[in-house]
Amino acid sequence: MLKCTINGKEVQVKPGSTIIEAYMKAKENIAHYCWHPGLSIAGVCRMCMVEIEGNPRLQIACNTTVAEGMKINNTSVKVKESVEWTLGFHLINHPLDCPICDQAGECGLQEYYMQYGKYEPGMAEHKVTKDKVVDLGSKIVLDKERCILCSRCARFTEEVSKTNEFGIFNRGDHSEIGTVDGMPVENNYALNTVDICPVGALTSKDFRFRQRVWYLKDFDTVCNGCSTGCNIKVYFNENGLYRVKPVYNEKVNGYWMCDVGRDVYKFADRDARQVKGLRNSNNQVSQDFAGKIALEVSQHLNSQKADSMAVVLTGQYTVEEYKDFVSFFKAKGVSQFYHWINNPDKLNDFDGILYRGDNNPNTKGLAKTLADEGIKVKPWNELFENVESSKVKTVVVAGPEIQKFYPDLESVFTRLNKADTLVWLTPGKNDLFEKANYVIPTKSFTEKNGTFVNHAGVEQKIKKGVTVVSEALTLSDASQLFSGKTAVGFESNVSKGHAGATL
Amino acid sequence: MAEIKLLTEHYHKPEFQTLDGYKKNGGYDVLKKAFKMKPKEIIEEVKASGLRGRGGAGFPTGMKWSFLPDNGEPRYLLCNADEGEPGTFKDRLMMERAPHQLIEGMIISAFAVQSKKSYIYIRGEYTKCLSVVRKAIKEAYDAGLLGKNILGSGFDHDMDVYSGAGAYICGEETGMISSLEGKKGQPKLKPPFPAVQGYLAKPTIVNNVETLAAVKYIIRDGAAAYKKIGTEKSAGTKLFSVSGDVNKPGTYEVPLAYPLRDLIANECGGMKGKLKAVIPGGSSAPILNADESNKVNMDYESLAAAGSMLGSGAVIIMNETRCMVDMLNVILHFYHHESCGQCTPCREGTGWLEKIVSSILLGRGRPQDIDLLDTIAQNMKGRTICALSDAAALPTISFVQKFRDEFEFYIREGRSKVTGQPIKRKNIKGSHHVEMHH
Repeated sequence: MLKCTINGKEVQVKPGSTIIEAYMKAKENIAHYCWHPGLSIAGVCRMCMVEIEGNPRLQIACNTTVAEGMKINNTSVKVKESVEWTLGFHLINHPLDCPICDQAGECGLQEYYMQYGKYEPGMAEHKVTKDKVVDLGSKIVLDKERCILCSRCARFTEEVSKTNEFGIFNRGDHSEIGTVDGMPVENNYALNTVDICPVGALTSKDFRFRQRVWYLKDFDTVCNGCSTGCNIKVYFNENGLYRVKPVYNEKVNGYWMCDVGRDVYKFADRDARQVKGLRNSNNQVSQDFAGKIALEVSQHLNSQKADSMAVVLTGQYTVEEYKDFVSFFKAKGVSQFYHWINNPDKLNDFDGILYRGDNNPNTKGLAKTLADEGIKVKPWNELFENVESSKVKTVVVAGPEIQKFYPDLESVFTRLNKADTLVWLTPGKNDLFEKANYVIPTKSFTEKNGTFVNHAGVEQKIKKGVTVVSEALTLSDASQLFSGKTAVGFESNVSKGHAGATL
Repeated sequence: MAEIKLLTEHYHKPEFQTLDGYKKNGGYDVLKKAFKMKPKEIIEEVKASGLRGRGGAGFPTGMKWSFLPDNGEPRYLLCNADEGEPGTFKDRLMMERAPHQLIEGMIISAFAVQSKKSYIYIRGEYTKCLSVVRKAIKEAYDAGLLGKNILGSGFDHDMDVYSGAGAYICGEETGMISSLEGKKGQPKLKPPFPAVQGYLAKPTIVNNVETLAAVKYIIRDGAAAYKKIGTEKSAGTKLFSVSGDVNKPGTYEVPLAYPLRDLIANECGGMKGKLKAVIPGGSSAPILNADESNKVNMDYESLAAAGSMLGSGAVIIMNETRCMVDMLNVILHFYHHESCGQCTPCREGTGWLEKIVSSILLGRGRPQDIDLLDTIAQNMKGRTICALSDAAALPTISFVQKFRDEFEFYIREGRSKVTGQPIKRKNIKGSHHVEMHH
């Protein structure tokens, strides 16, 4: 390890570390735009200037490596003036459209202006104007004149997605980011470029103009879009969920996430949710509190023989839920457990970056729980045979949270609905479900605590961040209600819905 | 002291362009001598000669060669013949008049650094150079001077010519490497330096045409003889491409430390009109006024002490009819156009400087613009990957400092102090101030 001093604070860094990494380690502020820890060093924004004792010239921190005993600061007047001037250069041709910019509130230019700027503009000449609102396909809108040419997006598509859509064209102050002939940027990691854009040059069509960022709150969780289990931040306010961004986890997803995962908030938001419990009696569908429906199911289950019941599980619930759910049915004597695998042919697919063919966050957690309980899942096709032969009269399904990943949903539902009683637990709504005997809304991944085990066996805790459907149940809640053993005060919640922060 | 002709001795002979003519005048004899030496001996000889890079930076050539890591990786030798600095044309002349002299120098240099492949990067506008050098390389191959086992030495070397697409910054060594690699011509961050990680990420030596050609004469005459020319720190001869208001503009080879006044008077046939200012090392060098020009010697140290630099040796001479506001605008127009756009201070600063000077020329200058030009330039200097930002900043600072009265007059009167009239040229940007309301 090497010792160095950052703004008077002594820190130790690994040999080969750059000064900017030492700043990060020392938790000292250092201005930067082009440097990103997940990308190669460009060294072009020239914001990360530092003064090194004994060196008359300022150096950039991103491409200067730490030497033993180096004394570095970025608090001197010389450095501050340099950074202020570099910021000034960034701003001279930048449009004054903060009020209509989607990045307002989380813009690097705004942040550093408040820190280093606040000066009279020296630029009295006309600005260089460039194209605005350039359509780059289904995901991204580009504003060329807001771009500060940090090249992060170009490096991302060259180094990470390896799709090479972005490039910097022209020279000097006519340089501009773009794609050849405005070709669309449709790769499955494209929205990472929006995340890493330090200004409002690249904006997400999905999020654009839907919400001012300062009205949003956020919480960290794990993406439930595939078995990688990327660490993510979900942004929300009282009107609902708005977007998802990756959170760095070296062991799981690094700095990135895929664009498929960007949509997970949509399946957890109110519009996509089953908000009430349903019962279908003689084709008469009625709504009721989820807990009340669960208690009715409890009565039904008590009236059934164990060998006439089957339980179907998908890989989208937490380990803790599986444990409670499986334990309940096992204690009841049920032995027919089935694992509904959405896309068996693609289950082991991997794009080489993050995205996996198994679109469930907890396939491994389900397998582990069943193994721990000594349960061997039955062959999938046997379920349909047993339903059709009336060997199975009651089927309880913990259905998928993200229905689009289950292309066989309708056919499976239809075939299982041939059973005398179909109990369908699910977070997501679907008109199809009204044909089930009972529908119990369950909580989405944003609304509960628990554990997901990803494809590599990494256990990751998720924490409840927000309540979208207040009366939805976890499988654990449902198990408890199925058992008829409601805790003190729980019954009142059954009819009133759970307490907690709600949207 | 009169001219010393090493590199230019045979320029006047048309046959010197051909292999036969070159051989008649002793061509490739030095290569035979070099092959009898060990590569390291050649490097030591070049080190001892004090030869410094003639492309502009003036870095000691032998020292650069000794930075090559001994890691068994293939090494490349790149000849920088981009010659993009305004006012510079010495390399073009050498390539056109003495292509084999360059090739021989390159083979010796390649042998010294044990490179099996070299490229001559010539700017695309130099169409005649391209054809002359290509023809000479073919002659060299046909004569067994390139390729396998050159002259039975056991040394293999291939040489190729690359035609650049035309950008000033492709003359910067890492920009040239980017261009040669088929990428946009943009300088790369250093470190790593090319000697460690250059072309195709392999150890690479980049030298200027004049530098590589001079190696031949160091090996021919010995380091001691070469070092006797010039000064202790500025050894050898130097080709100066002189342009502007002199009677005989052209390329002249003189010993380093030759007085600028003598260069003008003796080699260039004297001034046309009265000397006003000189840019001694290409358009990126700070300008010298008449008094400074009359006192300075043409070597690295003297010019640095005078606040300018030797650069590429492009001497631009201006008489009393030249408007300095106009001259600076010409320079800034060039650097604004040529900035690659990577580093923010250069990308935005070069344009800003040009716009301000254009505004002054259009009669829209503000009194504060003079100090603003200086402040902008001061904040561009030394803040970027390569020296293009400095190339715009240094002339700006020196023009404003040394000819401030002309800028003040123009802003005040809306016309040139020198011509008495507003300057009218097509390339003055139609920029104008935005009215500021507070």
